[in-house]
Amino acid sequence: MIPHLAGRLLCVLLVSIGLAACSTSRNSSPSAPAADLTNEPDSGGVNVQPGSEKDLMVNVGRRIFFTENSAALDETAKVTLDKQAEWLAQFPQWKVKLQGFADEPGSEAQNVAISKKRAEAAMQYLVSKGIAPERMFAKGYGRDRLIQDCADLSCKAQNRRVITNPQDAPET
Amino acid sequence: MLICRRTFLAGAIASTACSLPVFGATASRPEFFKGSIEDNGVSFRATNYRKIDKRWRRQLVKYTSTEPQGTVVVDTKNHFLYIIFENQTALRYGVGVGREGFKWYGVAKIMRKAIWPRWVPPPEMLVRKPELPKFMDGGPDNPLGPRALYLFRGGRDLGYRLHGTTEPWSIGSDASSGCIRLFSEDVIDLYQRCPIGTKVLVIKHLGAPVIDESAPADAL
Repeated sequence: MIPHLAGRLLCVLLVSIGLAACSTSRNSSPSAPAADLTNEPDSGGVNVQPGSEKDLMVNVGRRIFFTENSAALDETAKVTLDKQAEWLAQFPQWKVKLQGFADEPGSEAQNVAISKKRAEAAMQYLVSKGIAPERMFAKGYGRDRLIQDCADLSCKAQNRRVITNPQDAPET
Repeated sequence: MLICRRTFLAGAIASTACSLPVFGATASRPEFFKGSIEDNGVSFRATNYRKIDKRWRRQLVKYTSTEPQGTVVVDTKNHFLYIIFENQTALRYGVGVGREGFKWYGVAKIMRKAIWPRWVPPPEMLVRKPELPKFMDGGPDNPLGPRALYLFRGGRDLGYRLHGTTEPWSIGSDASSGCIRLFSEDVIDLYQRCPIGTKVLVIKHLGAPVIDESAPADAL
């Protein structure tokens, strides 16, 4: 039992001085962010340039999410798209690529099809809110570019998405 | 190394459902409010951000980690909540945390979301404060604010929520009691960004060990 006790003491010591040395299975642990980098303001911190891509990220939100095998826009997605439509109306210099993704059971072709339907649903909604279709381009990527590949809903939920991606630097 | 994990888990088991802020405080600090916002048919008092330290405001920051995009990380010691973005950045929000409140650390998932949530004070809180209502409908005076995101683990409601507040001055502090609370404007924003299934890490501070998700389920 001596090594057992020693291990415990070592562990307590490590924990108490704040080292992330406990777990050998680190798949769910964040790496310790470098203190000199994490938390540095990016793109002006609270003073984001209105109409910039970062403005869209911080004050509007680029992502909408879907449930399994569905391309239906839920109320939450519509709220985000409403805000995107407002932003696009306010900053007409931007064009956007609506990138649909999927992570469904089924073939690659089925995944591409559903991801395309998602992107097109987002586009149709934005058109219905007055955004010119010429400013938008919808594309489905299927299971390409998964955020994370796992069977759990925490992965699937992030992968089933449409990202509104501004294209080209706006003319100033 | 298993022993080590258990040692750390021991601190996590001693969790109780978090309680909530006191009532009637909104009227006492009018300088923290400015104007009002309409949301889903409810009008609530907007935060006066001129009274708020800039570091508690929603902002994009650099963030180095291996966590995938969309993960929510709560740093309880430093009163920040991060949602991980691409290119080593994160959107950071200021939060208020319970002094005695959020003793639970670990990995959870958002499995329920509510707009203008109603509030049922936990039984132990009713014992402590018998004057509280047994039930409160959602609305501008409800301490949960305009949104609540409910944390689950292994299909079980942990009793912890990310929610709004009627006390914007409590953001950035260890309030007397409470879950993880955000400015009402911010919890509305966060609600939009977290689909059902979003992973949430609650840690003491960035860089601190995280309770392993593969830990025995009966330990919690």
